[in-house]
Amino acid sequence: MKTTLFLLTFALLSGWAGLAGSAAFNPEPTATARSADDKKLAAPAETKPAESKPAEKPTEKPAEITPPASKPPASKPAETKPVAAKMPAVIEIKPIPDADNSCIICHTTPDSWDPKDPSQYKFYIPADSIKNDLHWRKGLRCQDCHGGDPTMLDPKAHQAKDDFHTVNRDGRLSPADVPDFCGRCHSNIEYMRHFNPSPRTDQLAEYWTSGHGKHLKKGDVNVATCISCHDQPHGDAIDRKPHGIRPVNEPASPVYHTKVAETCKKCHSDKELMKGRMYNGKPLLCDEYDNWKKSVHGKALLEKGDLSAPTCNNCHGNHGAAPPQMDSVANACGACHGKIAALFSQTKMRHKFEAVGLPGCAACHGNHEIRQPSDDFLGMKQGAFCIRCHEPGKEKYGATLAGAQAAEAIHAGLAQLKNGILHADETLAEAERKGMEVSEPKFNLQKASDALTNARTQVHSFKVDVVKKALGDGESVVKEVQGKADHALEEYQYRRYWLAVSLVPILIVIGLLVLYIRVLPIPEKPADASDES
Amino acid sequence: MSPAKPENPIPDELKAQGWKEAVKAFFFERLGLDSAAALAAHKRVPIHSRELFYFLGGMALFLFGIQVVTGILLSLYYKPSPDQAFESVRSIVTEVDFGWLFRSIHSWSANLLIGVLFLHILTTYIMRAYRGPREFTWWTGVALLGVFMTFGFSGYLLPWNQLAYFATSVGTAIAENVPVIGKYLLLMARGGENVTGDTLARFYALHVVILPLTALALVGVHLYLVQKHEISVPQDMIKKYGSAKKAPSMPFVPHFLFRDMVGWYLALGILAALAALSPTDLGQKADPFGSAPPNIKPEWYFLFMFQALKDLPAYLPSENHKWIEGETLGILFFGFVGLIVAMVPLLDRGAASGRPRRVLNFFAAVFVAFIIFMTARSLMMKPPQNPPAQAPPAAAANPEGTS
Repeated sequence: MKTTLFLLTFALLSGWAGLAGSAAFNPEPTATARSADDKKLAAPAETKPAESKPAEKPTEKPAEITPPASKPPASKPAETKPVAAKMPAVIEIKPIPDADNSCIICHTTPDSWDPKDPSQYKFYIPADSIKNDLHWRKGLRCQDCHGGDPTMLDPKAHQAKDDFHTVNRDGRLSPADVPDFCGRCHSNIEYMRHFNPSPRTDQLAEYWTSGHGKHLKKGDVNVATCISCHDQPHGDAIDRKPHGIRPVNEPASPVYHTKVAETCKKCHSDKELMKGRMYNGKPLLCDEYDNWKKSVHGKALLEKGDLSAPTCNNCHGNHGAAPPQMDSVANACGACHGKIAALFSQTKMRHKFEAVGLPGCAACHGNHEIRQPSDDFLGMKQGAFCIRCHEPGKEKYGATLAGAQAAEAIHAGLAQLKNGILHADETLAEAERKGMEVSEPKFNLQKASDALTNARTQVHSFKVDVVKKALGDGESVVKEVQGKADHALEEYQYRRYWLAVSLVPILIVIGLLVLYIRVLPIPEKPADASDES
Repeated sequence: MSPAKPENPIPDELKAQGWKEAVKAFFFERLGLDSAAALAAHKRVPIHSRELFYFLGGMALFLFGIQVVTGILLSLYYKPSPDQAFESVRSIVTEVDFGWLFRSIHSWSANLLIGVLFLHILTTYIMRAYRGPREFTWWTGVALLGVFMTFGFSGYLLPWNQLAYFATSVGTAIAENVPVIGKYLLLMARGGENVTGDTLARFYALHVVILPLTALALVGVHLYLVQKHEISVPQDMIKKYGSAKKAPSMPFVPHFLFRDMVGWYLALGILAALAALSPTDLGQKADPFGSAPPNIKPEWYFLFMFQALKDLPAYLPSENHKWIEGETLGILFFGFVGLIVAMVPLLDRGAASGRPRRVLNFFAAVFVAFIIFMTARSLMMKPPQNPPAQAPPAAAANPEGTS
């Protein structure tokens, strides 16, 4: 759904696949949605991006979709808007059947392009790629974004047209123009409502607040824009799929939940590209993806296929991607770990962390390489988190000895309940192997596991009594279950004992019977016995 | 006036006979036990190399008795409703004194009983004991085998656990493939389109009322016929000694009865050992909306039919020529075999004269081999493995779970 919000204009902008249309360039291209019923969607009146000016009332024709006027935002750097300045106010494109559309006819025909010549072959747009593009599916065609006249059959004619434009071609449109170009439609609520009753239209506004957007404003064009993430791989590769923008909920989309990290990685693991880039005075190390992949989140998403596990955008945002600030780390984590974040927010520890500049949850758990939680994170042994600040004699940030004792007490309590659960579980398993019916205590043991989970959560309150109360609930369940499990094993032994005891009289009787049978003479058949066959 | 002298409580004739004789006479006169005693004295069992075969009938009767007693005890606590059936059985095996013992004995005894019945009918065939005038003994025996297999099928569902639920769903669904009346059979078996509480109720009624009454009646007739026609003497013995009368034999009471009792005590010991060392498990409560267990199988005595129906292609002779559904053909085949088994006394035209029955023997051997092969094949089939990712996490086995 998120992708839907992006899609309506920028797909056809990419210069790598720039179409050689010949119509005059229209800076406010009409997104002519050719729906199945062939309704004509006419050009809009001029509108501005949502964040700069409210969209104007669209045309009253009910069957027409009115795309917003394209106007470069005030925030856009001057050096990135040569073409946008030439954009006419409005253009109205009449629907043209695909069979008569010269853009489609030429650019989707492989024979028209020499694969040995990358500079030429990059203009070939595979039909199976573009036909899966969301804009195409919604009815838009090449000329709606690229301008030009698709009724012209002269292969070179469209290049001379003023309204024809592609990215990176003749300086008419720069990559820096892409966000605003996409935003013309995607920031226009009324326009986007034609495609979605409750569209999101704040992506462009968010983008300019992101690290990417801020750098772009400063004139750094080597940053991600809309197509960097949303379009399929293109460029010169033979297997490229240009103009293949998919909805975010389609697994083929590069911003599908399981693919976001790979998409971010393309730039953020590129040491050359990240060279010299800093955050908070520290260089970007390009290890974020590798660390995340090893984390509990990465493993959950990539190995277990758990779609609820977070990827880059869940913590950093997507269109407004930026690292969480020191005081917002707990809020980022709390988006999923709500209860823990609520507990932490009420602790003295939180204020202390903020005061000394420790980044909340990340101070202990790290950021990208967040490990599977373990009870050994607690306590004063080597490797535990608490010892980092509470180590006697080496206290940091005003950490106290009482804090160290509390950590050890909580760690011991957790270990005791965990071992109790394991022991009860092993006893139940043994009883079950021996054929005893223990389904009820087995089911009840779940309550102890729940209590342990609750206690682990309560650890983030940093209050020993609160954690001990949660542990106590589990201990009482373990005690009851262990009792039943032990009883089941005793019962099994009891049965074996009484089986042996009961077999003795049975065998004695059998023995006596056999002895008696051996000495009992078999009498002859009486003379009057009937002769039955 | 002196008080009336009390009457002498012991008649003089009893004094003369002694207590034991008097009590015996009391019952014999009033219950007509003389004729029964005469029958018992008259009843003899042939002695020959295959006399072990004669124990099978008595063993089946003993196990039936065990079933009646343990079944009555279980019925005191069992609650036949989907909400309570599983919990009541769990209560029987965990809370009721010796409930575990009676449930396990009931279950093991049922299995032994079916096994014994299979052997009994096979040995009866081998010894040609069905020959005239014992045709009705054979027919009641075949009917009893059917009744006890139905006992097993209906009893399997009563604990209302997951495996039983889905096995019953699969088992009753087979009935739908019976030509013409399949749909009605299915509805009659399930009490509706699906296996529900109605199915449980009617299986319970079948298990504790209809089948026991039927079984008692059939066992009664069967035993009466055995007494009426006496125990069959094998034809080779008759030939060897000139007549059945001259063949060696022993009195049923007490000689054979004592031998029977050895077998019964052995069975009792085996049942106790099985119940103590390998109690029948209970499984998970049935969840009609849950996924079917991967290894749905009926009880072992249905496996040969189950496997054969599974192995048959969906359509015969081919997918392109859908003349008949595979399962329908399978059901018709087993119905036909059942008919043939019942008709054995009529088909064996040379039984009276002792003429060999080569054709029947050939088909009987093939069918027994088929049963053994199909059962072994089904037992050796591995259930499909669930992908580990879909396996539900063990509650207690995951104390490292995240918060």
